[in-house]
Amino acid sequence: MTLQFPIKSETSKKIWHGFERELNHKLKPLPESERDDIKMEILSHLYESALNDKADAEEERIINAIDRLGEPDLYLTPLISDILQAQSAAKGNPKAIAKSLIVTTQRSLLHLFLTAIFGFGYAVSMIIFIMGIMHIFNSDVGIWLDNNGGLLSLSFAFQPNAVQWMPEQFSFIAITVSAFAYWGLSKLLYVLLLKPNKSARK
Amino acid sequence: MLPDQIIDRWLPQFRKGLLEFIILLKLKQDMSYGYEIASEIKNLTSIEVAEGTLYPLLNRLKRDGLVTTEWKTEEVGTPRKYYQITESGIETLDKMKIIWTNTHSSVLKMVMQS
Repeated sequence: MTLQFPIKSETSKKIWHGFERELNHKLKPLPESERDDIKMEILSHLYESALNDKADAEEERIINAIDRLGEPDLYLTPLISDILQAQSAAKGNPKAIAKSLIVTTQRSLLHLFLTAIFGFGYAVSMIIFIMGIMHIFNSDVGIWLDNNGGLLSLSFAFQPNAVQWMPEQFSFIAITVSAFAYWGLSKLLYVLLLKPNKSARK
Repeated sequence: MLPDQIIDRWLPQFRKGLLEFIILLKLKQDMSYGYEIASEIKNLTSIEVAEGTLYPLLNRLKRDGLVTTEWKTEEVGTPRKYYQITESGIETLDKMKIIWTNTHSSVLKMVMQS
């Protein structure tokens, strides 16, 4: 590989091999011939792009070229998924079909997991907000602690053998905290799931 | 949602369809390889694209039989994977050109009127 892509400095070689290792790792689901073909094509692109970069230092040229390619996941995931789907369809091989489905659904599963977490967060913050409002009209609504000071429950009714937590300030705290939680979750959700990927925009 | 956010969402979809058309136009002129195609897109159009994202598109064009590939290594230089448009690719491109010309004229008319 080094003979085909002659790189001089030691730092550049480390960056190059680091990128090559990342490609090897990400391309693992593919058969060897496909893997080598894609890796060679990406490395060829990288080398030529670095060669034509205007920076003085070789390592800087390689870093710039890697940056211009974009996040490897951005281009390798659809590429791998397409190749595996085409192969599995052609062969009708259940193992190959399963492999391609795993690659395709990995991202979806992550989104599903985040959606479940955020769904729970939103539900809790809305319940606390509603309890804060209800507490104004019914002072039994609130957080109740057992006699040892441990958390007993979020409750809409009077709890025997328990002490209500901060009944005077509950509405203020519940409304404020739930509003902040709602705002924070929305910001986080936007950053994690909805904000367009910078690499995708390049 | 702010206009910039809407543009951020709309632009990648807009580019994706356009890029396949541009790649075929480029390959109709001459066979080419990934880096050269990416550079030309960058130089000739205002489309900024993460260069790696061309490869899933090129792979799809190959899978659909619109292009073929061939590795070539010059005496001095890096190995390059060249893409060449096929008969089916030319036929598809001709249809794309008609759609593009018709759509472009009508959209341009609407843009001028707005």
